[in-house]
Amino acid sequence: MIIIAPYAQKLRTGKENPKNYPYWKELIEMIDEPIVQVGVEGEQQLVPDFRKNLPIFELRKLLKECRTWIGVDSFFQHLAWDEGVLGIVLWGPSDPLIFGHPENINLLKDRSYLVGNQFIWWEATEHSNDRFIKPKEIIPHLKE
Amino acid sequence: MSKILCSIATRGRYFTTLPLVLNAVINQTRPVDKLIVFDDNDEPQDMRKEMIYQYFFQMLDQKGIEWEWVYADKKGQHHIHQRANSMGYDLVWRIDDDAIPEPNVLENLIKHFDVGVGAVGGSVLTPPYLPDTSTISGAIDNIDSEPNIQWGKIEQVKQVEHLHCTFLYRAGVCDYNLGLSRVAHREETLFTYGLHRKGYQILAVPNAVTWHMKNPQGGIRSETRREMFEHDEQIFKNVLKNRHHTIVVLNCGLGDHIVFSHVLPAISNPLVFTCYPEVIPGKSIAEAFELFGDIEPYNIYKKMDQWKWNGSLEDAYRKMYL
Repeated sequence: MIIIAPYAQKLRTGKENPKNYPYWKELIEMIDEPIVQVGVEGEQQLVPDFRKNLPIFELRKLLKECRTWIGVDSFFQHLAWDEGVLGIVLWGPSDPLIFGHPENINLLKDRSYLVGNQFIWWEATEHSNDRFIKPKEIIPHLKE
Repeated sequence: MSKILCSIATRGRYFTTLPLVLNAVINQTRPVDKLIVFDDNDEPQDMRKEMIYQYFFQMLDQKGIEWEWVYADKKGQHHIHQRANSMGYDLVWRIDDDAIPEPNVLENLIKHFDVGVGAVGGSVLTPPYLPDTSTISGAIDNIDSEPNIQWGKIEQVKQVEHLHCTFLYRAGVCDYNLGLSRVAHREETLFTYGLHRKGYQILAVPNAVTWHMKNPQGGIRSETRREMFEHDEQIFKNVLKNRHHTIVVLNCGLGDHIVFSHVLPAISNPLVFTCYPEVIPGKSIAEAFELFGDIEPYNIYKKMDQWKWNGSLEDAYRKMYL
């Protein structure tokens, strides 16, 4: 089983978080394994098994059961790292050298897509699909 | 050589003691690299129109000293000093607008500014009051029971835990407490004690005399509301009460808490304030705000921005707390 944690925290402005990966549907179609989505109420459901608002200890339990996980730059990548379960992080405007963990597979399209100031509120950054790698580039890493 | 910013906060003293202070700064034997005057007057004036100030500005230009006159935002001198503190200079020499340094003050203060030194101050004399401060400890615990060491003639270098009024300090390593009221009671004590807590030496040194012509008119602290002093005194007492702890304020996201949990075991005697007690147990952020007035110095994102950080978040926490 693979866990996906597709979304970063909602922004106060209601705009899409620029750290959100834009090609989840295409990616999910390419994955031939059971998938459990984790997240919170209000997020778009991408697979039949969507577990919302799980407390931390439940997420930790779930992590112990999964083969691996795929997420974005959100709290989940830190939780999984803390739990010692390695996975794939899909990076866009934020810097994996600052906010990531080298133990994970950190997939960043190019450092030129990182925002200049990494420490401002994400509300100030527009979402752009261009920042992210395409699903077909992720699949080989999922098989590692 | 260290770049030195001289910062003066002024209010209500355009035509009394401020000109004396400016003249004294301009005529230092070790010139400052830049002079900045923060004008916190209720009705600020364009001093370029005043003859005496015209001469001062010309003298600064002639001596090649950069200068700037800034209209401040009337929040109190702690906000002003914090601006100076974060302007990118190595050292800041802060001077009150009624404290007139002798010509050799800066030259003699900087002589003592070695690597581990956070702040250096000389005597700040207010005639006719001249207490014997030769046996003063300068310890924070004695702040209410002994005169400030700077009030008397300092005969030899002494390591203390706090300074007041005017001193030269290492910029950008410790923040002023912006939670204080406009009177900013104890602001410089809290600031220099903060440098001491960070492991820097605080020195009271001889041959650096400033004459404090305490002017009852004007002044950056010219507020008389007792509640303001009481509010600030309470913050000061809270800082002292908790001084044996490492104060940790996690006013940040869930993921940040998880990363921080890997740093926490290395922190000595932490007192934690947290947004996610299920991840990092501790008291509430509201309580931190209540106790210390200002929790911005614990904003890890602001710090990483200030440090132009390109290391990991975990290492940033280590830099902040270890």
